[in-house]
Amino acid sequence: MDMTAISKQTSTGSSRENTQKEKVPRTGKLLGTAIRYLLLALISLAMAFPFYWMVISGFKTNDEIWQFPPTFWPETFRWSNYVDAWQSAPFARYMLNSTGVAAAICLFQIINSSMMAYALTHMRFRMKGILTGLILVGYMIPSTAVYLPSYLVLSELRLLDSYTGLIVSNCVSVFSIFLIRQAFMQVSHELVEAGQLDGASHFRILWTIIAPLVRSTFAVMVLITFIDQYNNYFWPMLITKDPNLQLVSAGLRSFFVEGGAYGLAWPQIMAASAFTIAPLLILFLFTQKTIMQSVNMTAGVNKN
Amino acid sequence: MRVKLWRETEAILFTLPALVPLLVFWLGPLGYIVYLSFTDWDFMSPDKLFVGLENYSYLLTNSEFYQSLKVTLLFGLGSVIPTIVGGLGLAMLMNSRIKSSGLFRTLLFSPWVTPTVAVSIAWSWIFEPEVGLANLMLGWVGVSPIGWLRDADWALVAVLIVTLWKSIGWSMVFYLVALRNLPSDLLEAASIDSAGSWDKFRSITLPLISPTTFFLSIILTIQSLQAYDQINVMTQGGPAGSTRTLLYMYYQSAFESFNVGEASAIAVVIILICVLLSGISFLLSRRLVHY
Repeated sequence: MDMTAISKQTSTGSSRENTQKEKVPRTGKLLGTAIRYLLLALISLAMAFPFYWMVISGFKTNDEIWQFPPTFWPETFRWSNYVDAWQSAPFARYMLNSTGVAAAICLFQIINSSMMAYALTHMRFRMKGILTGLILVGYMIPSTAVYLPSYLVLSELRLLDSYTGLIVSNCVSVFSIFLIRQAFMQVSHELVEAGQLDGASHFRILWTIIAPLVRSTFAVMVLITFIDQYNNYFWPMLITKDPNLQLVSAGLRSFFVEGGAYGLAWPQIMAASAFTIAPLLILFLFTQKTIMQSVNMTAGVNKN
Repeated sequence: MRVKLWRETEAILFTLPALVPLLVFWLGPLGYIVYLSFTDWDFMSPDKLFVGLENYSYLLTNSEFYQSLKVTLLFGLGSVIPTIVGGLGLAMLMNSRIKSSGLFRTLLFSPWVTPTVAVSIAWSWIFEPEVGLANLMLGWVGVSPIGWLRDADWALVAVLIVTLWKSIGWSMVFYLVALRNLPSDLLEAASIDSAGSWDKFRSITLPLISPTTFFLSIILTIQSLQAYDQINVMTQGGPAGSTRTLLYMYYQSAFESFNVGEASAIAVVIILICVLLSGISFLLSRRLVHY
């Protein structure tokens, strides 16, 4: 690439002196690029290393994992650690629980965020300003700070220790409303008016005209919400005490602490951590583009 | 008239599915926790005893509270600044037509996607003092082993390393977008004026990406105030309170000591910090951020 660029310049008649001058920074640039690659490769490897360490430690025997210096490649691959770990706690159930709860939350958030965003962008009413302000403030205050009173509210509603409680208390997110509002603002109001002239209700306009137009925002919102909820730990752990209802993070944490596993069955613990994160890493590999796109949108959300 | 009334009603109906849960699980609790902070209650007794400002005066004379405040501040600075600087650094490294940048991006971003609990468990093994990888690597450069999570001087550093590892790729992606949107003609014009790369960076790039920096610093600060999972798995606030942030202290006094009043007062302090920071950042953004 570089060579052809230089020879092109010579052939278009630039003086020899000029080409000479160009060559020095070019070698410098090449070296710079090489250093960039090297640095990036090293940093990326370092970032990926904990994942490798988790997976590989899951294959070691208990003796080997307690060896110093640690081995970077297990002497023998003990697949049975993974099987043991999988069987010593209901991980399949935990993962299914998390997936189900996260999916339900995504569904509710799509519905209520869309309706709220539609009202805020394409309907006229008195409370509009107040509501927008309320949501803006909601973005700034960490929800973890109100976990205690929310817990009491759920207990008053007799929804502790149930998925209903978990789903209902997570069914609205200020972030999702923001994100969808942003997308709806891009949709021309004339479309809504045209729909109204045709006699369509607001509800119909929202779901048959506008929603299909902002599919990609929905995709981003669903992915981000799903990942967040699947990984959620603090709140689900507080309100679901029944071990059968536990979500995957809480289940993993119990496995880590209980049954003398703390520091004793490390290969199994590492194996369990590895299969807990596997579905997310796979999801991420397939939906990377959409997830990265979320950054673009999130940044846009804040500008308004 | 009836049409107008219907229009108002219909709009309100549209907001209800989001508004009701917001009121029940967010705005209501916000008011409730302020009330609870003026009471003495243990979850069990039928009556909440009104004690006025006693919880607050207790906090303000309690050394554990100041310790937590200090940890929260250290945790905030120690996570926000490196995440921003590191993320920008990585984005600058990736910005100039690097082949396979997609691969690098995937590797750097993946920690953000994974459950904090699972990765914190793996990290706590890396920080194991006797046989852990961290001490092996320190040994390679001739540094004697560190107690990491068991040492009050190092536990916060270890927790910060994990936090930084989780979020640096995330902030990098934000900066990648911002750098891609820089007007190239402006940078070229500066090159023609023979501006050095540092000058270009300082007087063009940095101001133009300031909205991203501003956005990240707010979000990351709020995230740092909410950090819980990694602390719970790795240190549970210890050793000797060295990793007990305000949020963690709030959790412990509420759900371990069942001291609702004190916990609520701590939560109110956290909320006040957020309001204060939002106010400051709003004022700062008017002066420093160039849109």
